[in-house]
Amino acid sequence: MTKMLWIICIGAGLMSCSSHLVLHQTSLIPLSKEAVFVSETEEVIKPYRDSMATVMNKHVAYSPCNFVLERPSSNLMNWVADALFVNQTKTVRLSQPAFCLLNFGGLRATLNKGEILMGDLYKLMPFDNTITWVEIPVGLLPEIAAYLLKTGGEPLSNAYIENGKIVVNGLNENHSHVWIITSDYLANGGDNMLFFKKGSTYSSKTTTLRDALIEEATYQENLLEIIDKRIR
Amino acid sequence: MERRKFIRNASLGLTGLAFVHQGLGQAMNAKSKKLTILHTNDTHSNIDPLPDNHPKYPGMGGVAKRHALIKKIRSEEQHVLLFDAGDIFQGTPYFNTFKGHLEMKLMTAMGYDAATMGNHDFDIGLDGFIDAQTHADFPFLCSNYDFSNTIMEGKTQAHTIFYKGGMKIGVFGIGVNLESLVPNANYGKMIYKDPIETANQQAATLTEKGCDIVICLSHLGHEYKDDRPSDRLMAKNTRNIHLILGGHSHTFLEKPVLESNLDGVPVLINQTGWAGINLGRIDIDFDQKFVKGNSIKVE
Repeated sequence: MTKMLWIICIGAGLMSCSSHLVLHQTSLIPLSKEAVFVSETEEVIKPYRDSMATVMNKHVAYSPCNFVLERPSSNLMNWVADALFVNQTKTVRLSQPAFCLLNFGGLRATLNKGEILMGDLYKLMPFDNTITWVEIPVGLLPEIAAYLLKTGGEPLSNAYIENGKIVVNGLNENHSHVWIITSDYLANGGDNMLFFKKGSTYSSKTTTLRDALIEEATYQENLLEIIDKRIR
Repeated sequence: MERRKFIRNASLGLTGLAFVHQGLGQAMNAKSKKLTILHTNDTHSNIDPLPDNHPKYPGMGGVAKRHALIKKIRSEEQHVLLFDAGDIFQGTPYFNTFKGHLEMKLMTAMGYDAATMGNHDFDIGLDGFIDAQTHADFPFLCSNYDFSNTIMEGKTQAHTIFYKGGMKIGVFGIGVNLESLVPNANYGKMIYKDPIETANQQAATLTEKGCDIVICLSHLGHEYKDDRPSDRLMAKNTRNIHLILGGHSHTFLEKPVLESNLDGVPVLINQTGWAGINLGRIDIDFDQKFVKGNSIKVE
């Protein structure tokens, strides 16, 4: 317990001079692995946990490392954006380039070294957001680069930021538009990605981001770690 | 709902009786008036401990362990209050599967006294929240979310007052702006009111009602580089708030921070991280006489 004594006079104004608060012994109590638990509470939780077990404890893949969340870019941000990009583009022929842009705040947990279960992908991506393609004019790219530099980094695939500019693989002067593969939440201006509202949404699919990630993780079997810095 | 109201009224009655006895006991023993405040934030449906292979917090957290700790502290201390600063929902399959019902049941079992709503508590819409709330026997305090044009009308309250050992404790809740954070359809015609202006009004009201201490449960976030409202900005730009129990930014504060308010009076701000990894604890003595001229002493 943190040994501290906070003495605060709350005498000003409305309270009488003798009325003071003494704040002491403030602490942050960690609930360690070994801490005791209440068995009755555990009994309440157990039937809920058991009823989900068949679905959530299903094996999906193995992770060779800890996939972590760190701005400006990290192996987990790369893995998620790459998995979605590959999942969406591997069977289509595109007449203009595409890249994937998601949000850092949308990734809610790490993927830890070892076996990856269905529940782990639910923790990583608990939202039921659906995959959305947005077509934007190339003229909007500087605004997207500025957004990424301001926030300090978001999951990005098939594109990177260099010297303050966004570079989209395959983009040349003949292209007037690019596709961005993202979520319906962001396409609707979530997390202040207001530039999406200036594009035209191609389609908000019924497939959730999570389902696409589960599909790719299952396909990879051993999750691919790619550690390149995409904001540099 | 009726059953819930009945239980709440019944428990208020019991609290009233207990209060009388405590008052007598105190007069006879001249015990110190000590209040213990316990708090969590951003528990995000983490009902089980984090997995053992978690790189940062292996095996930490978990409701059954939190409940044991709360029970232990309650057995040691006479006057305990337990609060949550929002984002109870979203983060584990428990929420995807049971839509917040288990979270509310367990918070009720742990004896939470009040909570405020975080942005993720809107993730299944207002109807989803109301459905889960049927399991909650504690009030949700939201003073700057005006729900009067929505189905949530009457389901939350701006503030509440607790009576513990002769102490009067005013508590109100402040929420973050949902625009660009939560899909509009999830909160409908809820009107967002300026958090700092509202906090000032709430704190003034609770002070006028004679509260000895005013606590804000906030889901604004601890501090930003830009000028978005935060706990620190709120502390600086208000008066009459003594303690802010924060959330939203998942900030781990080893110890609370102090910020001077508009009157130059220090405000204590705390936050416990996320996922129920920690339980915050703040002990307050009411009857010790002020010792030195300086308003703050940290040892």
